Amino acid sequence: MTHGILKFAQRLLLLAALAIVGALICATIVRFAPGFGVDEHELDSRLSASSRDAIRNQLQLGNGLLSYYGSYISGLVHGNLGTSAFLERPVAGLLKERAPFTARTVLLGWIIAWAAASFLSLLTLRWQTWQLEFSATAATGILIALPTAVVALLCLYLRAPIFLGIAVITLPKLFRYQHNILAQVHTQPFVLAARARGVSPARILFRHVLPVAWPPLLALLGVSTSLALGAAIPLEALSDSPGVGQLAWQAALNRDLPLLTSITLFVTLVTAGVNLFSGTLRARCP
Amino acid sequence: MKVQRALRFVCRGALLATLALGVFAGSFTHYSYVHQFRDIPNAAPSSSHWLGTDALGRDLFTRLVYGTRVSLLLAPAAALIASIIAAILGAIAGLRGGWLEKIILASADLSMSLPLLFVLIALRSILPLDVSPILSVIATFLALGLIGWPASLRVVWAASRDLRDSDHILLAQALGYRRSQILFRQVLPCLRPVFLAQFWISIPLFILTEATLSMLGLGVMEPLPSWGNLLRGCEDLSANPWRLVPLVVLVLTVISFQFIFPGSEELA
Repeated sequence: MTHGILKFAQRLLLLAALAIVGALICATIVRFAPGFGVDEHELDSRLSASSRDAIRNQLQLGNGLLSYYGSYISGLVHGNLGTSAFLERPVAGLLKERAPFTARTVLLGWIIAWAAASFLSLLTLRWQTWQLEFSATAATGILIALPTAVVALLCLYLRAPIFLGIAVITLPKLFRYQHNILAQVHTQPFVLAARARGVSPARILFRHVLPVAWPPLLALLGVSTSLALGAAIPLEALSDSPGVGQLAWQAALNRDLPLLTSITLFVTLVTAGVNLFSGTLRARCP
Repeated sequence: MKVQRALRFVCRGALLATLALGVFAGSFTHYSYVHQFRDIPNAAPSSSHWLGTDALGRDLFTRLVYGTRVSLLLAPAAALIASIIAAILGAIAGLRGGWLEKIILASADLSMSLPLLFVLIALRSILPLDVSPILSVIATFLALGLIGWPASLRVVWAASRDLRDSDHILLAQALGYRRSQILFRQVLPCLRPVFLAQFWISIPLFILTEATLSMLGLGVMEPLPSWGNLLRGCEDLSANPWRLVPLVVLVLTVISFQFIFPGSEELA
């Protein structure tokens, strides 16, 4: 029990370290990007030297790098993620506004992908015919070969909901991983022994294979979340949906680095949080 | 087994043909990929323009073959960068062990937990959008190469960790070889098959990522063609169905990459 709590604390500490490192990387990208601190108002010839200095002070241009990092992290701690240069609104407010939409679509797509991939993997393992294996491999192979943006475009043409697009993008890779894990366990000697004793295929699958394959399958929670979040960018951008993915794309097109780096940090923390959760679940597996 | 071998043969042939199309692009078309036939925009396929023209009147077949050169030559270059980084860091982690191994693996895990597209977009947006097309190509594929190493690193690390306690490495240590000598003369040559496998696996991944980035307007910049920015033509597909040809070429290439290696059953 104490060991489990220690492990969990260790993982939480890692998440905190990740947040700090991520924040520092974000701050560095913003600080050293070309055009940092350039304000068009400085070009206004009507402004006096003291007004220009005031603008520069507001942008923290005179401060050193360390104090810049300090003020960035202290802002983060207080929930201040900066202001979007392109939308001229606080980043925290924008994220709060857009995150629920993305969370909903990503979660729905993720659930559908998991359900479909698990069903396909179990089906191909339960009835091991070459026709079924070939069909599943060919279908997922073609889906893997499609660029994410093309799937997004197809969704737009077919008027399919975004979560379905996320499911279609996540499904093939998830199926391949799941199928490989289950197939590997299926070749173990204890499974062979069970088959030799005449245990039914369904019982072998659910009583012998799945319990052993459970921990590596849990590790896929983080990978699939990362895939689903990555799929949200082209899907939301091309279908003009009000989510975080579209916000990231707009920020990139408008070189709005404070907004973009905050979104990346936010997405990283979400993915790392899911990894922490799946790691904790795996640690509890017998 | 015979079917698999035949399929592999066909895929290798298809890949070689596509590569030849890109390398010898100038021999297949006498137009320039930037030349605009202003009197025939959005033209249907004809004997003079095999795939028709785009909205600016540029010959689509010409843009496809030159785009093949960009995508099919630079994706392997990016894969090479990623594989070299993975091989060196993975071999060092596996060979040295201890805190260095923990740091390298933790940084790989951290990078793997980031959605690739978010990081690429963040990195790409550091550059101005009106960057020259050549610089946009270099930046896109360089970013892919510099970010795409973590998954390969895990595989290389596992292989080099197995090598750490092997007889020939112990013998090299007993003979007083320096660590760098052991790394470059003993470990890395043994990791060549793993390195090559990771290199080939990374190529289709980078081709697809470039396609998505370019479709979003954040990859290879016009007027330089790439498979990705040619796919932007798919947006007006209902009027010009032949615009699907670049997508078909891309999908067939990526599928071919999946089949060119013998399966584990065949190797056994």
